[in-house]
Amino acid sequence: MKRSLILTTLTIALAACSAGESTIRIGYIGPLTGDAASYGVDTLNAVRIHVDELNAAGGISGKQIELIAEDGRCNGADAASAAQKLVNVDNVVAIIGGQCSSETLAAAPIAEAAKIPLISPVSSSPDVSQAGDFIFRTYPSDAYKGKVLANILTQKGFMKVAILSENTDFCQGIRTTVAANLPAGSIVFDEIVDPGTKDYRTLATRLKDLEFDALIINGQSDATNTEMAKQARELGIVQPFFGTDTADSATLQAQAGEAVEGMTFISTSSKLGEGGSDSFASKFLAKFGEPKSNLSFATLAYDALGILADIIGKNGTDGMKIKDALYALDGYQGAAGTFSFDTNGDVVGIGYAVKQFQDGKIVELELVAAE
Amino acid sequence: MRFARLYTPAFSSFLYYTLSVQLLVNALIAGSFAALMAAGLSLVYGVLGVFNMALGQIALAGGYGAWWLLMKAGLPFPFAVVGGAVIAAAVTWLSFELFVGPFYKRHRFLPLVTTIALSIILDGVLLYLFKEDPKSISTGGTLVVSLGNAVMSVEQGVLVLMTVVFLSALAWILVGTPFGRRIRATVQHPSAAESLGINTPLLHRLVFIMSGVLAGCAGIYLGIDQNLTPILGFSITIKAYAAIIAGGKNSLKGAVMCAYLIALLEQLAIGVPWFGFYIPAGFQSTVALLIIIVMLLIRPQGLFGSHQRSV
Repeated sequence: MKRSLILTTLTIALAACSAGESTIRIGYIGPLTGDAASYGVDTLNAVRIHVDELNAAGGISGKQIELIAEDGRCNGADAASAAQKLVNVDNVVAIIGGQCSSETLAAAPIAEAAKIPLISPVSSSPDVSQAGDFIFRTYPSDAYKGKVLANILTQKGFMKVAILSENTDFCQGIRTTVAANLPAGSIVFDEIVDPGTKDYRTLATRLKDLEFDALIINGQSDATNTEMAKQARELGIVQPFFGTDTADSATLQAQAGEAVEGMTFISTSSKLGEGGSDSFASKFLAKFGEPKSNLSFATLAYDALGILADIIGKNGTDGMKIKDALYALDGYQGAAGTFSFDTNGDVVGIGYAVKQFQDGKIVELELVAAE
Repeated sequence: MRFARLYTPAFSSFLYYTLSVQLLVNALIAGSFAALMAAGLSLVYGVLGVFNMALGQIALAGGYGAWWLLMKAGLPFPFAVVGGAVIAAAVTWLSFELFVGPFYKRHRFLPLVTTIALSIILDGVLLYLFKEDPKSISTGGTLVVSLGNAVMSVEQGVLVLMTVVFLSALAWILVGTPFGRRIRATVQHPSAAESLGINTPLLHRLVFIMSGVLAGCAGIYLGIDQNLTPILGFSITIKAYAAIIAGGKNSLKGAVMCAYLIALLEQLAIGVPWFGFYIPAGFQSTVALLIIIVMLLIRPQGLFGSHQRSV
């Protein structure tokens, strides 16, 4: 009894503290350490740029924005404790993140229960659509990406597809949607490895004895994709490689080199955020240099904060009102383009680009319009 | 007749894959790395009786050290490799003085706790110094050669051979030199050895540093063949423990053999259709470790272990 009384008093005291704050607190969750940290560092830097800009211009309705960043380490357990801290200790009004789908899916129930809107800039797992009313994302869902990838394979006449996936929510999302959009029986090799696996030689040995047309390198991090591609090529696999957003990385090219030459992948367009000397791209490059992963991730994170700042400025910090305004959004004009949200909180208006490693560089082949 | 009945197409394909040279090559590459780790660990356990839970991080320190000397300091490749081993030795020596030396005489399980703390500290230091993106030690182009129907790169061949050279040198030191005789005497009867004038504290220090150098070589091996990421340490340590426990806690030969054996089992687990089906790749380590546990149920002292203490 006594203890619960003390706890209640403490909670009230804490709540009172934050109620009196003159800042608007916004939380951030993303992988700041670990194999996937390149996305986290880029998106956090992008959010910081926007916070600094807004604060320099006087903040939101005269209040400064306070950004509180937590490390989700690209896994559910760390993201959940990060979300708990942001919601219960820091009393944030909204959360940007997680970045990895595993993070977003774990943080979602906590944000949902606390009625705090959450916008993920990078998570693309199809499961995020159903994660809750308060859960939004500025990144297109893999339910659509798997379909685009499957279409490319079908168009090229690749009827026998091998897929090597890492066991994370993102990679599993890709794996299931690609399979669902290919004719039955097209997947002739379907193996899932633990995150962090470095030895793919025996799987590549099996592939060598198998008849197939294309291999989808479906890993979550540069470290994984590098070894999958390098070891398969070393063992004499000559079939073309395909990939997703995680292959859209300068680090992968630097590490795998020849092995990924000619690899085709789909991702959001690198041209998001470009155009002109005052574009987001030039601001990011000036402040932080070349992105560690991909500028489009950073652009969408920059826009996620922009939308929140806009809506909080007009509707105040109440979670319910922010949520309703997000659904009612009629074409936000961000650095990445003009977009809005559908009834699942999924972004409408951001499409894909088909890209390829050519002569050691990432080349954009064509744009696939948003659905 | 009975043999003929057994020799069904499924069985012959099983034999074909089992004997596939490529699987053996794969196991040799993975096993050499594990053997370098296990050899040092087994030596430390045999001589000092302590567990070093930070060995994986020490391996990474060696690997990252060599990477830094080669890519950032611009040293020639052979110097960078030797430098990496020296860095691993220095880190190990410091670790011994601060985290093992002051504790292991009081209770042999104390270093278990202190080296776990050390491993967490080293994880943080590695992440801070080398950031999260993967690093590989480039040897400038990979040349792949084929051996029958199997392939192997020249650098992998050199790495596997170097491992054999290193481990043979270690065996020679233990068996053929006065220093090795002192080590073996200390293992068999520490206080008797001490009363005969063997400087056991110095010996312990040297053996501990030796294990760090072997681990550092393993880290360099990993950096050349695959890539280094800062959070890898713990899983490397655990694999090495599996090898020394399976091999018998006091048997260096057993630890090395079992490191290769576990690597082979891991390749066979997913590289061969078992009764017509492939075991999903995610269960690779699970299956190999399950086999080890079954083996330990039958032979609790380990495959090569005996009740007498020896190295």
